[in-house]
Amino acid sequence: MAGSALRRLMAEYKQLTLNPPEGIIAGPINEENFFEWEALITGPEGTCFEGGVFPAKLIFPCDYPLSPPKMQFTCEMFHPNIYSDGRVCISILHAPGDDPMGYESSAERWSPVQSVEKILLSVVSMLAEPNDESGANVDAAKMWRENREEFNKIADRIVRKTLGIYIRE
Amino acid sequence: MPIIVLERLPLPNLKTYTGASVLALSACIYYATHIVKDPDWNKPKSDLDVSPSNNEDFINNNTNHSSPDDRTFSQFTGDTFSVMTKEPICVWIMINMAYCWLILIGRCVQKFVFGQLRVSEQQHLEEKFWNFVFYKFIFVFGVINVQYLEEVLLWCSWFSLLGFLHLLSQLGKDRFEYLSFSPTTPAWSHVKLLGLLGCIFVFSLFMFLISIFVGFFQGLNTFAFMSAEVILLGIRTLHVIVRYALHLYDICRDTNGSLSRDTATALEKRGPVIYYIELGFELNALIIDFVHHMHMLLWSNIFLSMASLVICMQLRYLFHEMQRRWKKHRNYLWVLNHMEQNYPMASAEEIAANSDNCAICWEKMETARKLPCSHLFHTMCLQSWLEQDKSCPTCRLALNIESPSDNRPESPEIQHNAPQPARRPLNHFFHFDGSRYVSWLPSFSVEVSQLPRLSRAPNSQLDAMARQVQQLFPHYLLPTIIEDLRVTRSVELTIENILDGRLNSQTLRESETISTTSSNVPLSILQSNVEQPDTSSSQNWDDINEENVENEDGIAVGSRFSKSPSEREQILHKRKEKLIQTARKRYVDKQRTPIST
Ligand SMILES: [Zn+2]
Ligand SMILES: [Zn+2]
Repeated sequence: MAGSALRRLMAEYKQLTLNPPEGIIAGPINEENFFEWEALITGPEGTCFEGGVFPAKLIFPCDYPLSPPKMQFTCEMFHPNIYSDGRVCISILHAPGDDPMGYESSAERWSPVQSVEKILLSVVSMLAEPNDESGANVDAAKMWRENREEFNKIADRIVRKTLGIYIRE
Repeated sequence: MPIIVLERLPLPNLKTYTGASVLALSACIYYATHIVKDPDWNKPKSDLDVSPSNNEDFINNNTNHSSPDDRTFSQFTGDTFSVMTKEPICVWIMINMAYCWLILIGRCVQKFVFGQLRVSEQQHLEEKFWNFVFYKFIFVFGVINVQYLEEVLLWCSWFSLLGFLHLLSQLGKDRFEYLSFSPTTPAWSHVKLLGLLGCIFVFSLFMFLISIFVGFFQGLNTFAFMSAEVILLGIRTLHVIVRYALHLYDICRDTNGSLSRDTATALEKRGPVIYYIELGFELNALIIDFVHHMHMLLWSNIFLSMASLVICMQLRYLFHEMQRRWKKHRNYLWVLNHMEQNYPMASAEEIAANSDNCAICWEKMETARKLPCSHLFHTMCLQSWLEQDKSCPTCRLALNIESPSDNRPESPEIQHNAPQPARRPLNHFFHFDGSRYVSWLPSFSVEVSQLPRLSRAPNSQLDAMARQVQQLFPHYLLPTIIEDLRVTRSVELTIENILDGRLNSQTLRESETISTTSSNVPLSILQSNVEQPDTSSSQNWDDINEENVENEDGIAVGSRFSKSPSEREQILHKRKEKLIQTARKRYVDKQRTPIST
């Protein structure tokens, strides 16, 4: 139960500290609760989210790693696969059973061999390449398809906001 | 509802309440001593009092009084007390004082053991409190149907004490669950909490003795009513204690580091024992609760009263819980059996050859089971995974375990995981779990279906086809291929599309740019081996890392995982700050360059 989840989270934390993937930092918000993490994700280069540092919260269930954690961006986000409240909708975060969008193959879904690192890496790739089929944010998906320029503008504004840089336009 | 009302009421704080209670009690005592001072107070009063009231106990107290003139101090206080018990206002004030005491004790325990309560604990407590009050109200007035005030008072005091212990036990459980989230809880808080739980358990034993004693005089029904709640309290508390002990054992094992082979096998054997202990506790609690409610239902003669309706709802809920638990258990047995028959224990050589840790818990394997795909896992880890999904965690090989029954255990989510047939409409489940709000509310699921968008091949099939295509064209991303396959539904046609350049070129171009920046993550995840990102992109990051090292003062940021929690926190914080700073700097630099050139 919580004991084994705790040991595994500790191991992951250790690995992410000693061997962090580029541009990604993750760890418990507070040492008193190892089941709530904060992650910082750098927007991938060559995309509209380039350079931004996006904070997100990860909430782990008691039976982790049997069940996936929940992930939610705590900054403003505008992306086809992120709900307006910041929740992330990617297949790796869905338990093998549930399939809210009805299209994912179970191969892409959660399994205990996945890890925080893999989740965050796939979020990075999601930022780079939205999957406009899963309509977590329909407006964003539509804009992504039809008006890329506008989308890039919004993304850039968000990037600046996360960095605390405000440029007059 | 009542909570909201309560919040709006101007409730006095504890100090004023205690002050007022003490004041009222002292006024009461003053009044009583004033009466008792008169040596002949006893005679006229008791004559008046005999006929109308039913409080025989109280009268019994008064009957044998000695002559007033030579009263000792203890007799005097006895008289004072008996006067107070006869005066209704005084009785109420004393009851109030008793509750005040209870609240004060609760406060002290909270201060000493728990400290500041967390929000969720508080909510839980309030919920539990009102739930308890509601049920006991129904019990006293709906089931037992008490006639006399004294009986009501006796039941109330019994339930107050019981409810108090129930709440403490609940609080202890919540706090234990919270503490188990942290690896660094000081030992002292464990000792305090375990001590409290132990006390509650001893109290529940004591209360059980009382219920036997009362039941001896009042009959079996009263005994059953009284003892059921006490036993429930005892079982729940003991359950938490046992879980706590196991958890502490787990944590200690962690600090000990590596295991010998003997302890590892002992751990493997420990799994089922723990499981059966848990099962025993849970089922016992449910059964006792069920029988208790059944008893209440049969006892309250009027079957169509509001009370019986509420009890029926609760019975239904308990029955479903029992059913759910039983199904889960059957699933457990089935998986266990299947595992033992089909997946042999890996030999020592196989474990030695496989240098990896168990992929589920990331810990070293001393013993392991082997799946047909020759992936190794701990028996317990594999067991708990197979209970919820029938595939290899590493390679997703579908294992043909059939469920023991048509119904999968637990929620509808799990019923999903059978391979989906083609043209299955999109379904959304809305699961309403009423018991999360009030324990007797029913739980139900609503399924909302959408019309199928496209006629599609089964997902697994699509996936297999996509992989086939991807082997030929590795630079195309899997989602893009799946996208096309949805339309064409044939590997050959999709390949033709790609060769003719008909496949959405934009996605292709993007996927290329991405693969240079952030590495092809989706693929690496599908293959479930972590790929190092491309060196071409990591160069910039290397620069930053160098900067980091240069800027370093005090604690080394990278390549160290501190043993001290506070230091870990500090390091993490610094790393985060540094990441944002460098990102900011780079962003500004980048904005500048196009202007200058
Ligand atoms: Zn394991
Ligand atoms: Zn496998």
